[in-house]
Amino acid sequence: MRRSPAFILRSALATVALGAAGVLYGFPLYWLFVTSLKSKGELFASSVHLIPHNPTFAAYSSVLIDRGFWVLLKNSVIVCFSTVVVTLVVGLVITYPITRLPVPARLRVGVLNWALSLRFLPPIAVVIPYFAIVRTLQIYDQPIALIGIYSLFNLPFAIWMLKGFLSEIPLELEDAALVDGATRWIAFRRVLLPLAAPGVMAAGIIIFTFAWSEFLFALILTATPNAQTFPVGVQGLVTQFEIIWNDMAAAGVIAMALPLILMVIGRNYIVAGLTFGVIREK
Amino acid sequence: MRAGRQRLSRDERLAYLILLPALGAVFVIVTIPFVLVIIQSLSNEDGSFIGFVNYSRALGNPLLYEAIKATGVYAVIVLPIEILLGLSFSVLVHRTVRRPGLRAAIYVLAILPLVVPPVAIGVIARLIYAPGYGVLNVILERWGLMHGQEINWLGDPTLAMLAVASVDVWQWTPFVYLVFFSGLQTVPRESVEAAQIDGAGWWAQFRYIDLHYLRPLFILIIVFRLADVLRVFDHVFILTGGGPGTATQLLSLYMYRVEFKFFDSGQAAALAVVVLVSFSLLYTFIARVLPLERA
Repeated sequence: MRRSPAFILRSALATVALGAAGVLYGFPLYWLFVTSLKSKGELFASSVHLIPHNPTFAAYSSVLIDRGFWVLLKNSVIVCFSTVVVTLVVGLVITYPITRLPVPARLRVGVLNWALSLRFLPPIAVVIPYFAIVRTLQIYDQPIALIGIYSLFNLPFAIWMLKGFLSEIPLELEDAALVDGATRWIAFRRVLLPLAAPGVMAAGIIIFTFAWSEFLFALILTATPNAQTFPVGVQGLVTQFEIIWNDMAAAGVIAMALPLILMVIGRNYIVAGLTFGVIREK
Repeated sequence: MRAGRQRLSRDERLAYLILLPALGAVFVIVTIPFVLVIIQSLSNEDGSFIGFVNYSRALGNPLLYEAIKATGVYAVIVLPIEILLGLSFSVLVHRTVRRPGLRAAIYVLAILPLVVPPVAIGVIARLIYAPGYGVLNVILERWGLMHGQEINWLGDPTLAMLAVASVDVWQWTPFVYLVFFSGLQTVPRESVEAAQIDGAGWWAQFRYIDLHYLRPLFILIIVFRLADVLRVFDHVFILTGGGPGTATQLLSLYMYRVEFKFFDSGQAAALAVVVLVSFSLLYTFIARVLPLERA
């Protein structure tokens, strides 16, 4: 490779820029983590320590057990998992016919465009009427209210992702099974679904992380630990008059841990998901 | 031949049999709230019809225009910075980082901020900007850049807006980077090599080749980011709650307050209808410019 002075200059520039980005992204995360490890006494020390003197996990047990946030964590898992199941099932029911069965092109495009338009709906404008419905149905402060609206808001994304995965699988594979006398359902279950499984899993992981992060709907539609999700609990720690920094930081760490772990698994699909498949990562 | 055609029509019937109930159900579920919100916007607290009173109250409220202004300011700060930084980084990494392992590492690191819950990012921002424990002031003081009186980042309208915007830039610049970076991978190597043979410099390559291939992505990024700016709520709610005063009270925070703090559901419903209608009008335009594959 040719190493011209210009190339060396550019490499130096890249190193500096990436280093600066590393600090700008690394330090805030470091500060969150470090704060979560501090003891109450250290928080109120006269000077702020950039490195904790006596690291402790006390804040984590304070948040999860003393404040009872493990219940909110459980609610979050239940709501997110149900959302994934509902969204994927409805998503498959809608994408299977438009990718595998002979429907007019106009219908297919219409469905996809309609799904895309839902992606741009402003949630706050939707939650105001949805709130009225939830109260009428008496499902206020129940997980089901969240599962419903989360599924609705993740459906456009699921439709576009699943459509991408399903249309990449050759029709001939299913046809071969059909010729051998299998029913459509068997061909779907035994041939299509196993082939689409990695994509469906990826879509599920991403929907899970979206639902996990959601805050506005959860804030409005829940009131007690009966249905409150973890982000609502985190917010409750923040707006109190006397802010307990280490508890707040520990809650922040817990809130971001799961999505970060899941994303290492679903990393190859996240950009495609966020841009509705315009950008395909290879 | 005839058997084949018969199977085709059977498949087609099956398609409608699966599709119509599902689409119908989703359509009804989506539509009911719209109908309800329109009724709510035309009625009194006790449910009696009052015409467009709620609309004139909603549109006559000066707080609405402050919220629109704050949202506009937020977008004007955030979008150019994110696009400029994301674009520069993508070009820089594309041209200088060659090792696949390093590229993959940068990719993974860049997607991480995208999946951190905005609430958690709001918490981090508070740990940085808040008076007392906020680490930004601590650092400024240790470096000798600030003396005595600490800077009240969240108490001053301009600084609070910048603080809130900085969080958005932190979370979403990586998204812009990733979109542009994968766009750069589609630039054909031949045109780059041809340009280099013709003596095109770094800037010329960028200006005449890369930008040409990235152009559709600008539209995509602006549309997606604008849609997201209109729904920004979480981190602002945590960091400033819309304050000081109404300095960072973006549109969604304002609507939240009208419905759930002032309990003015008539006005909130009218606002929701106005937003939904303007969104639909905007969307018909957006749908035309988005470079999506529609096969």
